[in-house]
Amino acid sequence: MAIGKRFLTSFLALVLAAPLLHAQKPTFTVGWSVYVGWNPYFYMNRSGILRKWADKYGITIKVQRFDYAPSLDAFVAKNIEAVTMTNMEALDMPAAAGVDTTAIILGDYSNGNDAVLARNGVTLKTLAGKRLLLVEKTVSQYLFERAMVTNGLESQINKVKLVNTSDSDIAGAFISDASQDAVVTWKPLVSQIAKTKGVSMLFNSSQIPGEILDLLVVRTDVLNTPAGQQFAKAITGAWYEVMDQMSKSPKRDEVLKGIAAASQDTLESYKEQLSTTRMMYTPKEALDLIAAPPFKEKMNLVRTFCFTHGLLGASTKSVDDVAIRYPDGSIQGRKDRVRLRFETGYMQLAAQGKL
Amino acid sequence: MLSWTLFAAGIGAYIWTSRARHIENPEDKVVPTFVQIAQGLAEAALNPDEADEQIADLASAGLWDRFTHSMLWKDTKASTRRFVISIGLLVPAVLLGMHMGLFPVIGAFFLRFILFFDKIIALSVLPILFIAFGIDELSKIMLIVIGVTPTIILDAFNITKSVPKEQILKGFTLGATNFGVAYRIVLKQIAPRVVNSIRLNLKPVMLFLFAGEMIASQDGLAYRIALLRRHMGMNVIIPYVLWVALLLFLVDIGMRYLNRKMHPWFREE
Repeated sequence: MAIGKRFLTSFLALVLAAPLLHAQKPTFTVGWSVYVGWNPYFYMNRSGILRKWADKYGITIKVQRFDYAPSLDAFVAKNIEAVTMTNMEALDMPAAAGVDTTAIILGDYSNGNDAVLARNGVTLKTLAGKRLLLVEKTVSQYLFERAMVTNGLESQINKVKLVNTSDSDIAGAFISDASQDAVVTWKPLVSQIAKTKGVSMLFNSSQIPGEILDLLVVRTDVLNTPAGQQFAKAITGAWYEVMDQMSKSPKRDEVLKGIAAASQDTLESYKEQLSTTRMMYTPKEALDLIAAPPFKEKMNLVRTFCFTHGLLGASTKSVDDVAIRYPDGSIQGRKDRVRLRFETGYMQLAAQGKL
Repeated sequence: MLSWTLFAAGIGAYIWTSRARHIENPEDKVVPTFVQIAQGLAEAALNPDEADEQIADLASAGLWDRFTHSMLWKDTKASTRRFVISIGLLVPAVLLGMHMGLFPVIGAFFLRFILFFDKIIALSVLPILFIAFGIDELSKIMLIVIGVTPTIILDAFNITKSVPKEQILKGFTLGATNFGVAYRIVLKQIAPRVVNSIRLNLKPVMLFLFAGEMIASQDGLAYRIALLRRHMGMNVIIPYVLWVALLLFLVDIGMRYLNRKMHPWFREE
């Protein structure tokens, strides 16, 4: 009885004290969603790497899994401080909603993860008039339009009948209904669909390298506080420690297995997904990509796509109204309307080993 | 007067939240102001969808003309079509339930299976639905049918059971056929209750319709809401949601009115 009571009091003390202990340290939440290039956040948290870096900078970092769309909603609503997303959504979700956003880590780009697939002998040339399943207004539609443009079929884009299909059902819908001609989606769904009899791949993102970027973005107002900068340093440090383990560690397979667990994938399946992802294992690779001249041109393609499809909002009258600032100080769009920033400072610190 | 208090409180809370968020971020899209909502509504109700042919001379076209070319009109038409077909398919369900309640053999044959079927969550077996019905119109309607008909059948069954046995016996004694008893004595009595049962199920019908349109479609009210969510078009989503509520409300009132006109003798005990 006495033991029970003592246990109860200490338990109560613990429960009551826990929030107080946390309250002393600033807390930051990182949202992530299942994707080959973002699953490392799951492992980062699980393996204790993140806690180590958070402790070093005297903060608390929480990691929370979301479905993709809700993770963006949570970020725009300012419920979380940082989130993983593509360059396209960074423009059309937070930036277009007036939430000044900064990309601090460029983790990878899709190098075949996104693909246009078809059956019944349909090709890009004969796609006009056919039905195409895809999640409209996302990178899938961007990929499809780029496929048509790079093959000189721009005039036919409007003749394809787009069917907006939820990503949780798109694989099942396409595989089980043989009357559907074509689909655009991403891995691991692509791998599943490609295995179906009579399905061939018409186009994939390795044909437009470096256009679909996977980022970690932080709200700029968070980044402008001292604690926010500590957070950026901690998460960048933790990220590149995981990248090191993924690429160089002698226990590489074990690490990859831990990462694959984020999406309940097998090691083989995850490795297959990695093969079509251009991971930036070192900060230098990411810095080089951002500094190279084509980077801005590619971002220009993406922002033009967002604008012409109304993704920046009906009230945005010009593509320049959601401006992008690059690390060299140049600005794409109106100077007084910068909404998305690429900040390479933290990756540079990582490259110099100063984190 | 009292019944409007909560409406006023809700609108007040909305305005307050919206103001607070816009002071912090003038471009906020999550909780749009009334001006933004009005703009969104005008956009939806007076302008065609970007994928559709545009009206040649937008400025000179009349308001009604613009409305019938708008995306709101197009989406409403598509969803209404699916809705009407699904409601139509509930009629055989009612008849089945009535026969089950009236004729023990039919009841014995169907009852157990339908009780089981009623507990299947249709949304969780979508891939099977896709194989059976494809992903076009048929699967959306079947999703509603599978989701709602078992409930309607069982309800019609129970209502039929509650018709006094004496009346049915009297009908037979007076020489009525099976057909005569079913359609001229029982159906007339259960009709008003069945209509009420369908009224209560309007919301599930709409839920399944929305789910179907969000899974795969090219038009419809839920299709548009799913698309707009991609870029936080809350200023259009809110008018859409209110529009759907209004339509449902009108359908409900219409059914209640018809029920009263057709069965003036009916009083809910």
